[in-house]
Amino acid sequence: MLNTIACFKWVMDEADIKSDPKTHELIFDRVGYKISDYDRNAIEEAVRLQEKHGGTVVGVTVAPPGAKQCLKDALSRGPEKACFINDQSFTDLEPGQTASILAAAVSKMEYDLIICGEGSSDLYAQQVGPALAEKLGIPCATYVNKLTYVEEENKIIAERKLDDGIEVVCIQLPALVTVLPEINTPRIPSLKQVLGAAKKPVDNIGLDSLEGTFSPCLKTTGILAATMERRRLRFGTEAEDIRKVVEALLKEGVIA
Amino acid sequence: MAEIWIFAENREQTLELLNAGRSLAGGLGAKVAAFALDGKLAEEYINHGADEVLVLPSLAEDQPLESYVSVIAEEARREKPDIFLIGGTQRGKEMAARIAARLNTGLCSGCTALRLDEKKQLVMERMLFGGAAVQTVVCTTRPQMAAVPPRTFEQASPAKGREGKVRELPPVPGTPVTVVKRTPKVRESVDVTEAKIVVCVGRGVEKKEDIALARELAQVLGGEVGCSRPVAEELQWLPEDVYIGISGKKIKPELYIGVGVAGQIQHVTGMRDSKVVLAINRDENAPIFDAADYGIVGDLYDAVPKLIKELRNALKI
Amino acid sequence: MGEEKFAAIVVGAGPAGSTAAYLLAKEGLDVLLIEKGAAPGSKNMFGGRMYSHALHKIIPGFWEEAPVERPVAREIITFLSGDRSVSMNCQDLNWVKPPYHSFTLLRAEFDAWLASKAEEAGAMLACGILVDDLLVENGKVVGIRAGEDEMFADVVIAADGVNSIIAQKAGLARMFSPHQVATGVKQVIKLSAEEISRRFQVEGENGAAQLFVGDCTRGMRGGGFLYTNKSTVSLGLVITASELQKARYKISELVEDFKQNPHVSPLIEGGEVVEYSAHLVPEAGLNMMPQLCGDGILVAGDAAGFVLNLGYIVRGMDFAVASGEAAAKTVLQARKNSNFSRQGLGLYEQLLKQSFVFRDLEAYRKAPGFMENRRMFTAYPQLATGLLSEVFTVDGTPPVHLLGKILSQVRENGVSLAQLAGDSWKGARIL
Repeated sequence: MLNTIACFKWVMDEADIKSDPKTHELIFDRVGYKISDYDRNAIEEAVRLQEKHGGTVVGVTVAPPGAKQCLKDALSRGPEKACFINDQSFTDLEPGQTASILAAAVSKMEYDLIICGEGSSDLYAQQVGPALAEKLGIPCATYVNKLTYVEEENKIIAERKLDDGIEVVCIQLPALVTVLPEINTPRIPSLKQVLGAAKKPVDNIGLDSLEGTFSPCLKTTGILAATMERRRLRFGTEAEDIRKVVEALLKEGVIA
Repeated sequence: MAEIWIFAENREQTLELLNAGRSLAGGLGAKVAAFALDGKLAEEYINHGADEVLVLPSLAEDQPLESYVSVIAEEARREKPDIFLIGGTQRGKEMAARIAARLNTGLCSGCTALRLDEKKQLVMERMLFGGAAVQTVVCTTRPQMAAVPPRTFEQASPAKGREGKVRELPPVPGTPVTVVKRTPKVRESVDVTEAKIVVCVGRGVEKKEDIALARELAQVLGGEVGCSRPVAEELQWLPEDVYIGISGKKIKPELYIGVGVAGQIQHVTGMRDSKVVLAINRDENAPIFDAADYGIVGDLYDAVPKLIKELRNALKI
Repeated sequence: MGEEKFAAIVVGAGPAGSTAAYLLAKEGLDVLLIEKGAAPGSKNMFGGRMYSHALHKIIPGFWEEAPVERPVAREIITFLSGDRSVSMNCQDLNWVKPPYHSFTLLRAEFDAWLASKAEEAGAMLACGILVDDLLVENGKVVGIRAGEDEMFADVVIAADGVNSIIAQKAGLARMFSPHQVATGVKQVIKLSAEEISRRFQVEGENGAAQLFVGDCTRGMRGGGFLYTNKSTVSLGLVITASELQKARYKISELVEDFKQNPHVSPLIEGGEVVEYSAHLVPEAGLNMMPQLCGDGILVAGDAAGFVLNLGYIVRGMDFAVASGEAAAKTVLQARKNSNFSRQGLGLYEQLLKQSFVFRDLEAYRKAPGFMENRRMFTAYPQLATGLLSEVFTVDGTPPVHLLGKILSQVRENGVSLAQLAGDSWKGARIL
């Protein structure tokens, strides 16, 4: 039996972000939202472990109240319950704040294992997982691409993929892991799962039920779009077009 | 006296950060202290700019490097450095996040640039949204922490006759994470970051065998083959050493050719400094075309063979 | 859990599907609204304007809460011919007083809002789900299958758009021919709200709708469009698919040329493209209409070909909303009689016949045929622009009265007077 918490973040779809060509400011007008890609892997891993070992999976997120639709998405992926830690002030949180808020809520929950994505697809600071582990005082393993639960000994064996090679570690539960996208392929929710999500319970946790203050340490002094000047010329696949491309490359002096 | 601390899991990165540390120290009138995993490196670090070297004790065979977090954090809590730079390898990033959590301070991960402002605060830059934007931050708490990716700075140059203190740190307590196996990575002989021409394979390529097309194109041009993250990590058609992107390799070739690459921002961030970009994709709305100088909209299985033929012709091969 | 049975399953959360689901849910029925896109509207696209009358009937004063862009005060038709263009530009301020004649809007936001109204009313909305097949028992549609999940209902409403797989699977429709649809390609271009109002000469929040005929389609059947949104414009081309296939042009290249046309580029100068989209548009009207109902199934919206393109007026959304309304009323009545057979659903066609849907489609039934007249897209724009340009030109040449000018232009453009007279007469009667 394994009680797992899967943490997820509701993020802007970075593919929808545009920028003003003159001021280089970012334009978020028509941006869609999604569960951060790596968090889908985290939820999927938690659900796989549950299918194998039994127990529960709770999806937990920290978000402003307007992000409610993330819950249906998360619940359609397998957890039986979601925990919506929300407050108006929870916008543009820095990782340290998210970790503290999660710790304040999770410390009151029963869990054996916490699974996070290796980083969020918007900020990709890769801090919340390990920071949360520290705040809770539990051990962690990051960059995990294979996870096994050894039931008899209540420990996990985590294979970490690091720059210099593979490191396999063993940790006694309770513990936290952050997972790489290659650990699994998240399932596409079926119709029944999507409909079922609407019926699953959600715990709403507000700021007043959390202990501690969650002030930021960092201050953003600017955000500008990364610019790239490119010609953006287009061609087809006809022989004439290919010839023109090769001519251009020769002219640019980039091929021998 | 204000102190700038440096920790990196290997020698190369320590030297890189010593370079950055020394520039900052100049502006702040501060001292630089570097952690060393091996006492034998202390002298080298002092020669390259460290005023003090903190030698970490050796770890047991089954202790992962991250076990140093408690010792390092404890030292930082006592000595209160002003700035703490950490080498942003995978382990480094984990350690930085945990140390920052223990010290209740802010951490700028993936910090690609550092400087001091008029108020002598550390101004840090990092990328957002997969590389679509650059964010500038300052930290209002101390220490100001940054996790810096490898090769962001050049290694410091040695100076003669530098002196510095060496201090040994106490042993690391037992840690709850035990290593049961280590398998070092077999380095691929190809370094895609050095190649002048890179042909990059994306998900538009339908079968693993079809990478041969990209290889042929690379061969005609004397270039190397790279790929986007999914091709290496999910499909595992190519080694991770050659995947190009914000979390992979960053390349600056003369010519980048994307074959069936969609051009998600995370990938584009890895090749944005290419001199000339050619993209081949069947989807006219693929974002790669915004990042390309020359875009061939069409089936790569049609375009690439034609391209190879035309190139052989033009280059008389 | 036992098999779920719904009163109705609506496939497609576009304007037809969401309207049907909304009305049924309001009556307390268990309705399942299934959308293949991640969100309603994400897979939808249109030129840019909806005529309000149909939705106002369902949700009176919808503009107070719906995400609409600008109410249209100015209608413009422009003929393009090389260096010359001729526009008919009409502003009617009554159009922008309640109940607001029409609005420009953006489908991602609008469709999502309309589907959320259905959800609020009690419909279950499932997104990101593709319906693979119908469940049929004894020749009667009893539900749908999506992946491995089967859902049952008394009736299925196929509102799944121009290429309705559901209508085809039910044997009600055949795959359309390229002759019967048009390819529409659109770009959404960002400009400041003030600049838009200035360039299109509209006040405050008002907007303009402009259609283009002539050069932009290189002689192919179709036209260009431009609709002003709050701080973007929707610009694009619609060209009959069969003609595009024959010609060697790529519609995306034609759109780029269109944007650079000297009569168009000043309107979008300095704007940045923020979105590209493409979609198929049913064109053949009643001539391509499938059977509208079968045992346990109704077809609504674009899936039923309910689109009217007269060149100077293009309508799809109001038909979709009205057909969704008719479908809902039909289902409610069928429930009362517990008869969901083709006969039991017969009210659908009746309601459509009584409403503007059939009335207008029937009245303009000959329009698609008339629009096949190549002269509409080549000779006549040339003639109109040539004529007007001559009329306004003062350059010292001997004076010619209007009639003379008309006749010389007609000759120059290779059109016979008989053709001109015949086309004018026919056009005036058919359009």
